[in-house]
Amino acid sequence: MDNLRKKAKELLESKTVDLVIGYENGTNGKARAVFIKDPEKTGKLIYDDRCKQNLAVYLNKHEVKHYGKIAIVAPLMVMRSVLVLVSECQLKPENIVVLGIGEDGSLLDFPSLEVVEKYIAKIPLGNPEPDQVIIDKLNAMSMEQRREFWQNELERCFKCYACRAACPMCYCLRCTVECNQPQWISAPAHPLGNLEWHQLRTMHLTGRCVSCGDCGRACPLNIPIHLLTMQQAEEAFHMFGVRAGTSQKADSALSTYKPDDKENFIL
Amino acid sequence: MSRIGVFVCHCGENISATVDVAKVADDSSRLPGVVHSVDYKYMCSDPGQTLVKEAIKEHNLTGVVVAACSPRMHEPTFRKACATAGLNPYLSEMANVREHCSWVHDKGEQTTQKAFDVVRAMISKVSNNGALEPIKVPVTKRALVVGGGVAGIQAALDIANCGHQVILVERSPSIGGHMAQLSETFPTLDCSQCILTPRMVEVAQHPNITLYTYSEIESVDGFIGNFKVKIRKRARNLDEDLCTGCGLCTTKCPQKKIPSEFEQGLGFRPAIYTPFPQAVPNKPVIDHDNCTYYKSGKCKVCEIVCPTKAIRFEQEDTILDVEIGAIVLATGFDIKRSDFFPEYGKGKYKDVIDGLQFERLASASGPTQGMIRRPSDGQIPKKIVFIACAGSRDPAKGIEYCSKICCMYTAKHAMLYKHKVHDGEAHVFYMDIRAGGKMYEEFVRRAIVEDHVNYTRGRVSTIYELDGKLIVKGADTLLGAQAVEIEADMVVLATAGIANDGSEELAQKMHVSYDEHKFFAEAHPKLKPVETNTGGIFLAGACQTTRDIPDSVSMASGAAVKVAALFSSDLLTREPIVARVNRIPGPSHSTCVGCFMCQPVCPYQAIEREEIKDRAGNVIKSLARINEGLCQGCGTCVALCRSKSIDLLGYTDNQMHSEVLSVLEEAFV
Repeated sequence: MDNLRKKAKELLESKTVDLVIGYENGTNGKARAVFIKDPEKTGKLIYDDRCKQNLAVYLNKHEVKHYGKIAIVAPLMVMRSVLVLVSECQLKPENIVVLGIGEDGSLLDFPSLEVVEKYIAKIPLGNPEPDQVIIDKLNAMSMEQRREFWQNELERCFKCYACRAACPMCYCLRCTVECNQPQWISAPAHPLGNLEWHQLRTMHLTGRCVSCGDCGRACPLNIPIHLLTMQQAEEAFHMFGVRAGTSQKADSALSTYKPDDKENFIL
Repeated sequence: MSRIGVFVCHCGENISATVDVAKVADDSSRLPGVVHSVDYKYMCSDPGQTLVKEAIKEHNLTGVVVAACSPRMHEPTFRKACATAGLNPYLSEMANVREHCSWVHDKGEQTTQKAFDVVRAMISKVSNNGALEPIKVPVTKRALVVGGGVAGIQAALDIANCGHQVILVERSPSIGGHMAQLSETFPTLDCSQCILTPRMVEVAQHPNITLYTYSEIESVDGFIGNFKVKIRKRARNLDEDLCTGCGLCTTKCPQKKIPSEFEQGLGFRPAIYTPFPQAVPNKPVIDHDNCTYYKSGKCKVCEIVCPTKAIRFEQEDTILDVEIGAIVLATGFDIKRSDFFPEYGKGKYKDVIDGLQFERLASASGPTQGMIRRPSDGQIPKKIVFIACAGSRDPAKGIEYCSKICCMYTAKHAMLYKHKVHDGEAHVFYMDIRAGGKMYEEFVRRAIVEDHVNYTRGRVSTIYELDGKLIVKGADTLLGAQAVEIEADMVVLATAGIANDGSEELAQKMHVSYDEHKFFAEAHPKLKPVETNTGGIFLAGACQTTRDIPDSVSMASGAAVKVAALFSSDLLTREPIVARVNRIPGPSHSTCVGCFMCQPVCPYQAIEREEIKDRAGNVIKSLARINEGLCQGCGTCVALCRSKSIDLLGYTDNQMHSEVLSVLEEAFV
């Protein structure tokens, strides 16, 4: 942790970056995001098991973007999110410094995103174990049971769109659900409309989700919607061999055509 | 409020026999926005069109729906009619109640209801239509012909004779292609080289043709009328201006035993070589893989003997950038070699050869000076078996198609052999004789009747060598599949014609579609045989499918006319059915967030990056922009865009949404 604070202080003092995004102690013993401009305040930075939020969500926010160069405290999911954002032209590689956090919580030295890519290449990627267990259970169900499960879960959704706000990949200026000419997805919360929204969100994140699970954590009703995008992440990997956030120039699964792509889903 | 006119066509009885057209017109007249609705026997006829034109003026229509046939058929007709009446042509729509309704259903109420549903959907769409203006793009009047075989030569000459500049690119050291390798041509038996070489010379001397041999296409960008092509001119290792083509270097080169590509491996060439004596240009190239200098750093005999000091060992490939308006692909075909056939010895029997090898044996300029001698020992074979359909029409070998040229050239081969070896015996195994063409059937008959070639209908199961003879085992299916065994001295396989090596890569560079066998795909099998689905790129000759010389030449002339037509005006008019990225006032400028995930999905490379700058010139936003010249309106980007920032003009989300909803309306009620 000391290394992290020291490095952040150095970066700010040398004006290598203008802002450091990291975690600090919040209220009720929780960790929360902190935005540090002053090198003297880097002592606030922490990193421990409570630091679960995907900080990359802030990188594309207008208020943050105008700072210019940003350093971000980055456990694996943040590193991957950064690479997705770079590959989707939402972030310039020269504007980001990744303060990588290793699996043991130690600070990793990442002079460039290429080194981040190399680091990620060595790590087995997939969904977090507890989530994958539930996904496997769901996949073992019959289609009817699964539909019933999701209908029951999604019925509760009241479309607060916290899932969207928590996701670093949901950066569109105007989301499809806000498109009213024509209105593709009905605005009020009702079972059919909710299903439409969550299916759409899942499809839009296919091959782009880094399985951070922030959408599920953001849900005030504890609907496990992160399982939907996580399942799609596995699906994209099995179908097209693509894992989101492994390269700055990743070919997105759904927008790249290769002659040997599987076509067995075409009926 | 829209003022829409509905015009229901009987199409003689094509529609009215199963659909109650009067009811459709009557029901439509009660739909909101419809101010005029009629039915008529032939809406596409002159009086029918007049009905439309007059109604536009009389009722001041803002939209027209013609319920008739497929838009493929008559959309242009009615758009034109609307335009003459002063209505923007893109405010008219076709409701297809013929192919989609009357032709596929029986007479009945439901059929009439469906016709009405189709009309109603189009009324909903047309009320959301906007006026569109055709797109005009400039045309670079220079054509690129890829491939210097007979098709490429013909296309280049025809375009050049129309007064346009042509760049002809050929990857081998000389133009001429397969035709230059042939001995004599069916059905007239005139010498192939004698009729081709004058054309080759004409290409070289034509003031409008720039010839790049030993060159390949590196990349193609741009769009119809405005292609930007990079051509890799491979190093010949020679100053072409100095070289006189005297050939001294080729005679003195110490490497003499390299199998010649032109002779199909039956003859040899040196490391510095011209492929054949009549080569155009008649300037040698150095084959780096076999040249002693490139292998060991010593030799340079060619440099020493060259009287004009033209050899340049240090020369490197050059990349030429050219601007092109239209492209003709004439990259030709190849054949399967005898090693493709395990049952015929997998290529290990020297005297089992393919058709092209036989052409070289029969050619007066070939390795045997036109004597038919077998490759193994140079003896004159007394008995030859010709096997047609070697590979072709054989799904088990992955080639289902008929190669089309083999029946004819096999008859020719047998005939040539009989003309040269009078006491020889020629046997042909065939599946069917396909001799469709002027004087073709007569030609095959002549081989059978006058030249006594033995034709056996049946296939050959195996060939093996025994005591210097090739034992050919087959069946005669006309005699109840009776086994036939022939002791042959030589076997000629009419192997299947296949797509040329590298055609897939070229198709991908050109963004031209190709079929499962890697032959380039035409835009329409009947009505657009020389066009591709990519605007401004045309096909000639055997790159589309195997074809003979007359077919290749006519196709080349066809492609040339398409190019000339394209070059006949300075501006190209295109349908305005293109995708467009929305623009809104700043600071957002567009709902496009510039993720550029639409870029890789575009099959036409039409999506560019647009930078929005502030007054000081700082980039404040990057967003996608669709190049209207390139966009073909396929809509893939529209479907992919997550923020719905792209719309397809003429098929906007609003139009499609209202169309679909109006169809569903009935279902919900």
